[in-house]
Amino acid sequence: MLELNPILVKDLRSRMRGARAYFLLTIYLLILAGVTLLLYAAISGDIGSDLNAGRRIGQALFFTIATVALIEVCLITPVLTSGSIAGEKERQTYDLLVASLLTPWQIVWGKLVSALAFALLLITAIVPVMSLAFLFGGVGLTEVLIAIVGLIVTAVLYATIGLFWSALLNSSLGATSFAIGTVIALLLGIPFLIVIASLILGSSAPSDLLDSAWFIYLSRFVAALHPFIALGATASQLSGGGNPFFEVVRTSATNVVVPSPWVLYTALSLLFSAALLAASVRLAQPVQPGADRQKRSRKVVEAES
Amino acid sequence: MTPIVETRDLTRRYGPNLALDHLNLTVPEGAIFGFIGPNGAGKTTTMRILTTLLPPTSGEARVAGVSVTREPRTVRRLVGFMPDFFGVYDNMKSWEYLDFFGRSYGIPAQRRQQLIGELLELVDLAHKRDEPVMSLSRGMKQRLSLARSMMHDPRLLILDEPASGLDPRARIELRELLKELRAMGKTIMISSHILTELAEMCTHIGIIERGKLLAAGEVQEILRTMRPHRIVEIRVVAGAARAEELLRTHPDVLELRREGARAGSDDEKAPLDDETGPHTLLADFAGDEHALGDLLALLIAEGVRISHFAEQSGDLEDIFLHVTKGIV
Ligand SMILES: Nc1ncnc2c1ncn2[C@@H]1O[C@H](COP(=O)(O)OP(=O)(O)OP(=O)(O)O)[C@@H](O)[C@H]1O
Ligand SMILES: [Mg+2]
Repeated sequence: MLELNPILVKDLRSRMRGARAYFLLTIYLLILAGVTLLLYAAISGDIGSDLNAGRRIGQALFFTIATVALIEVCLITPVLTSGSIAGEKERQTYDLLVASLLTPWQIVWGKLVSALAFALLLITAIVPVMSLAFLFGGVGLTEVLIAIVGLIVTAVLYATIGLFWSALLNSSLGATSFAIGTVIALLLGIPFLIVIASLILGSSAPSDLLDSAWFIYLSRFVAALHPFIALGATASQLSGGGNPFFEVVRTSATNVVVPSPWVLYTALSLLFSAALLAASVRLAQPVQPGADRQKRSRKVVEAES
Repeated sequence: MTPIVETRDLTRRYGPNLALDHLNLTVPEGAIFGFIGPNGAGKTTTMRILTTLLPPTSGEARVAGVSVTREPRTVRRLVGFMPDFFGVYDNMKSWEYLDFFGRSYGIPAQRRQQLIGELLELVDLAHKRDEPVMSLSRGMKQRLSLARSMMHDPRLLILDEPASGLDPRARIELRELLKELRAMGKTIMISSHILTELAEMCTHIGIIERGKLLAAGEVQEILRTMRPHRIVEIRVVAGAARAEELLRTHPDVLELRREGARAGSDDEKAPLDDETGPHTLLADFAGDEHALGDLLALLIAEGVRISHFAEQSGDLEDIFLHVTKGIV
């Protein structure tokens, strides 16, 4: 019989055994429910009771829930993984794992999946809250599915960011700090760059540059690095009746077909996740195969100096 | 027969710091090999290389003829490692701890269950099976760690300072356990910085300092060369004053003490009176076995009556054992 990954079994067992898991889940849901209620209280009086009131409440609820859930996923998942490998190093159990027959891949994969399992639990937990928004109308199944895919993809990417720092550093505090730092840098840095770039280009760039196909691709690419921008743009595209998978950008010169921001975001995120995962596996390897070769080249360098 | 451990010019640098300097080490199969040296000598470094946790800078290390750098996975199958620290997980019971490492070595579920029972029995922890690992005492953790290192039935056990932090009784138990393991056909490599600790449990010894092997071989031989003087216990029935005089002036006696007397106290000055005797003298003797025989002959020829003349074998640990009953 094929055995489950030992690391996965152990981590799930201990993660679910402690009170921390339930505590985290409770806090997460309380925040979500609290924000939803506040929003509902704030807008229900405002909107009044015209024909579209229900639809607008539904939309507002949906976007609020999705946004809060996304923020939480962005902050929680890197923390879940950043303690994983560094935590083994801190507990001094890492050597024992490496000296066993576990492969670096098994170690890294087990850590990732056990953290993702928990993140998936968090994501699944918002489905009932989202269906509340569904009841009011104004939100289609497409939006909901895209939101869930976006959340999952974000969880995967941000979990691998935490995992990478965890494999690189020796203390879980350090790894968590760097992981959160990376997340904040991404979430704040990309909008900042976009604002700066548009300020500069808006005043000085010639319009044929702005209309060129490669510039459109580049700007979409940068925007698709950011979960909130990518998913937000998709949402507005959908509410304008656009196609969920691609978009036609009309410029004065040509029409450029670009994938929907969420498609681009999903593809890029998975790509980066794979790269970070590969880097983590490499870092988790103590005596690397081909170490002989590296050593020899190092010796050559030493001899030359 | 290929030795179970063989290193050739094994060298490891940490930056400019040379931790291992062309170490040539051989451990025969079936030995209990004691690896001794002061702090920072390179014991842990050697062991980590042998367990594939650390790549050597140059030179070669082989376990049962398998290169540590070329076939690390094969080496991991052959070696069980107990580091000088004990890694614990919170929220984990003793059996789960073993179960996890059993899985990590790919041992099938059924065999694992059986093995966990056997190993807990072997290290005397069967009654702690369902206790959290965190709640075990230091000695128990050490034993659990030993059980862990044996989950995959390795041919070579590498134990880094397993006796540190253990009380003398736990050490004796460890010694017995190691003997049992040896009888099971395992080779054991064990490190320490206390010679006596190893002398009693090892068949072979290697002495390392600053990354260089100073001496290696069978224990008795090494002990003979490493311990230049011995303490001789002499119980004098008559002629104690004369005996003391002779011993004090003997060239091979480095130091003489009266048993029970504190060094340098006043009563040391007054000559010994046979009336209050018999007295026991402790002589720090630098000569060899022949010189010791000559010393005894001299004392007797001078009319000293001796009821006991023996090299002291016991040390503090024996005394501790008599006092404690070792209820764990
Ligand atoms: N990770 C490291 N980085 C830099 N230097 C190290 C490292 N580990 C060990 N050393 C150095 O290598 C030398 C040998 O260390 P090692 O740990 O092998 O000694 P040891 O014999 O096990 O000592 P101890 O009895 O204290 O355990 C020491 O000089 C130590 O400072
Ligand atoms: Mg050491």
